[in-house]
Amino acid sequence: MTAHVVNLVVSGVFHASILFLVSAGLQVVFGVQKIFNLACGSFYALGAYVGVSAVAWYAEAGGPPALFILPLAIAGVAAGALGVVVERGLLRFVYDRDETFQLLLTFAVVLMMEDAIRMTWGTSPRSTAGLYLTYGGVHVLGTTVPVYNLIVIGASLAIAVLIGWLLTHTAFGCIIRASADNREMAEALGVDMRRLYAKVFTLGTALGTLGGALVIPATAAMSEMGIELIVEAFAVVVIGGLGSMRGAFVGALIVGVLRSIAISVYPELEMLLIYLIVIAVLVLRPRGLFGGAPA
Amino acid sequence: MSGRLVLAAALGAAVLAPLVAPTYQALLMLPFMAYAVALLGLNLLFGYTGLVSFGHALFLGIGAYTGAFLTSVFKVRSMEVILVAAAALGALVAAPVGALCVRYVKIYFGMLTLAFGMVFYTFVLKFYRLTGGDEGMPFLRPALLGRSLEGLSKIDYLVGPYYYYSLAVLVLATLVMWRIVRSPFGLCLKTIRDNPTKAETLGIGVARYRWYAFVISAVYAAVGGALLGPPTGNVDPTLAYWTQSGNIVFMTLLGGFASFFGPVLGAFVFIYLQDWVMSIVPFWRLIFGAILAVIVIFAPGGLAGLLTPRPAAAPRP
Amino acid sequence: MILRAEGLRKLYGEVCALDGVSLAIDAGEFVSIIGPNGAGKSTLINVLTGVLRPTAGAVTFKDRDVSGLGPARLARLGIARSFQLVQIFPDLTVLETLQAAVVSRLGRGTRLFASLAADREVQEGAIDVAELFGLGEKRHVPAKQLPQGDKKLLDVASAFALRPELILLDEPTSGVSTADKTTIMESLVSASKRIGVRAIIQVEHDMDIVFAYSDRIIALHEGRVLADGPPAAIEADRRVVDTVVGRRARAG
Repeated sequence: MTAHVVNLVVSGVFHASILFLVSAGLQVVFGVQKIFNLACGSFYALGAYVGVSAVAWYAEAGGPPALFILPLAIAGVAAGALGVVVERGLLRFVYDRDETFQLLLTFAVVLMMEDAIRMTWGTSPRSTAGLYLTYGGVHVLGTTVPVYNLIVIGASLAIAVLIGWLLTHTAFGCIIRASADNREMAEALGVDMRRLYAKVFTLGTALGTLGGALVIPATAAMSEMGIELIVEAFAVVVIGGLGSMRGAFVGALIVGVLRSIAISVYPELEMLLIYLIVIAVLVLRPRGLFGGAPA
Repeated sequence: MSGRLVLAAALGAAVLAPLVAPTYQALLMLPFMAYAVALLGLNLLFGYTGLVSFGHALFLGIGAYTGAFLTSVFKVRSMEVILVAAAALGALVAAPVGALCVRYVKIYFGMLTLAFGMVFYTFVLKFYRLTGGDEGMPFLRPALLGRSLEGLSKIDYLVGPYYYYSLAVLVLATLVMWRIVRSPFGLCLKTIRDNPTKAETLGIGVARYRWYAFVISAVYAAVGGALLGPPTGNVDPTLAYWTQSGNIVFMTLLGGFASFFGPVLGAFVFIYLQDWVMSIVPFWRLIFGAILAVIVIFAPGGLAGLLTPRPAAAPRP
Repeated sequence: MILRAEGLRKLYGEVCALDGVSLAIDAGEFVSIIGPNGAGKSTLINVLTGVLRPTAGAVTFKDRDVSGLGPARLARLGIARSFQLVQIFPDLTVLETLQAAVVSRLGRGTRLFASLAADREVQEGAIDVAELFGLGEKRHVPAKQLPQGDKKLLDVASAFALRPELILLDEPTSGVSTADKTTIMESLVSASKRIGVRAIIQVEHDMDIVFAYSDRIIALHEGRVLADGPPAAIEADRRVVDTVVGRRARAG
């Protein structure tokens, strides 16, 4: 029984860690640019494929297997560079438009990236074979927990702390918070919105691609993984509150753990339960648990 | 008057298509007509009321599954019964869903509709004993106007009676919607789209009118969804997936939400262009994503906005 | 007595915008509410028209408690308003805007399948009001293309198209040229006679207009009624002249 619970919690928290990274990317972009980025799931998928390729290349080059997480994470973050392209190439044209058009433009990115990934990596699932087992497992309360999962959970926590520190203790974070509160004011104070938007969107993208890269040793990369994850990330940010980092953290934990429990107890419920919670939150508390005033 | 000529020509072409066009092209008209019905409804919400639903595939799905259940579980084969049942169920679901959704606007409205859409999707996907899960359910060949038509081959049925049946439903749906948008009710919707605060002070109860529009659009989507079933003979959950909701908003924007016939044009171009692109390269999404991006950035009025001389009205700037 | 407000209080968090305002409006009156910025004038209009719910106190319209009923219900009961910052339907023409008001007044908004173009009562009602406000020539112009003065006029005209018994105008002449101000005031006075509006309440900064048109003036200051009386009495009231009228003159 305990073993079962430990397994549930660890796999739930592992999933929550990945969800947090993607949702944090969604939140930082929404907070500053007021754009709900449907493409953050696609960035996650891209990160996964880039991660697979990086690890394969690393193994071929003869790198020590124990360090595969380094090329994986580097590739994940590097793939975030696509954010600049999307922001400068597309999004910047629609900042003064109705948010419907902004949403649809990110949907266009979803469509394009899904096929771009298929073109580049093919349609069959890609995985990193046995790398997951490189780090082995630890025995906890009668069950074996993969060390890799613990590493990812730890990394995600570290990133959460880092983001928190970035937002509250650096000039960049101060500018982000000011712009999220009042764009005109920030602009009047001399903040260069063009550069800020490019940076923020790239940061959001990199969080998504990193999430995708880190998940890959535990699961296979598939071209649909992006459009599936976005609805989970969507649930996370709605439950936590749009634009709130704390919301992303708590929301990810709720969604990740609940999903893992639902799958084990009553598989039919899986995401159904999550969406029902989303609806309940939107109806009863549209700001979410930690959000500001609804737009 | 040239508008009427274009319309008459389009209708004439649609009537003649099964007789002169290759069967394959005529078959493509079926999903087009089904989507066109759904989009007429979606645009009452989008173009006329100013609300963008990102979960309207929910109602497509309800319509399609209503038909599948009736034909394959309850042995009801009458298409008229199916359409009426689809419309009624669409309205029944839309009534409470809409009552919750219309309390919000913009991104929150979009998110709430998306969440409801995903509830339905997950439900049909997971409760496979009832719905067949991801394999879907058969939508058996419906009888049209009381004739069973079992003697015809599938192709003859589809490009023959079923084609004209769909066309008749589309024409009827168009006429009804044409009246709705030109009614006092339609005018009230437009005031809400343009300025809800002002509409409210003129005594127009914004939430109530949004709810009416939501329910009507759901009925249209459900009827469209039911029409989608027979051509493939099977309905599956992808019809209700969120990307499907995105695609129908895409079609509306492609054709032009500021114009009455824009969404119909959008459905037509989407279906045929998609088929043509897929015949050349397998990656239609890449091309369509690029098209959508170009439209959003450069031509938010869509094709109808490009075709008409006066600039398309930018809705809520 | 057509409208009565008793002990209205409105708090925004810690800030007290209305601190016990009572007033009564009789049929046939043209009442102006004046006061320096921040006196609570707009808050008062918003409470009287149901946009805001008062923290305490009650509004009665024709002996019926209407506090917090919401603008749509109040409009149907016979209270119309215009806005300080002009509110229009950008993509609707002048005529469509007025038709919407007439449709709402006649309770025909839920006629889903009736033809608007064939509804003679709505058509004629809208054209009448357009003529009344001198907008007849521009009836097919989309509201967003109108000059500022006409936008203001349309906002006011659409309130009149509801044929209300009571109308509240929040700075009907702000943001328009001096020439347009007179046009707007003359139009609305003659329109109210033609339509049978029983009382007008306006918030106004322009003292020339206030003293030229009002039967009674209510001066607000810091959320309270400072003075309430006919123009001659207000003009003679030192406190009002010091806080409102005089200040206005110096600023001008």
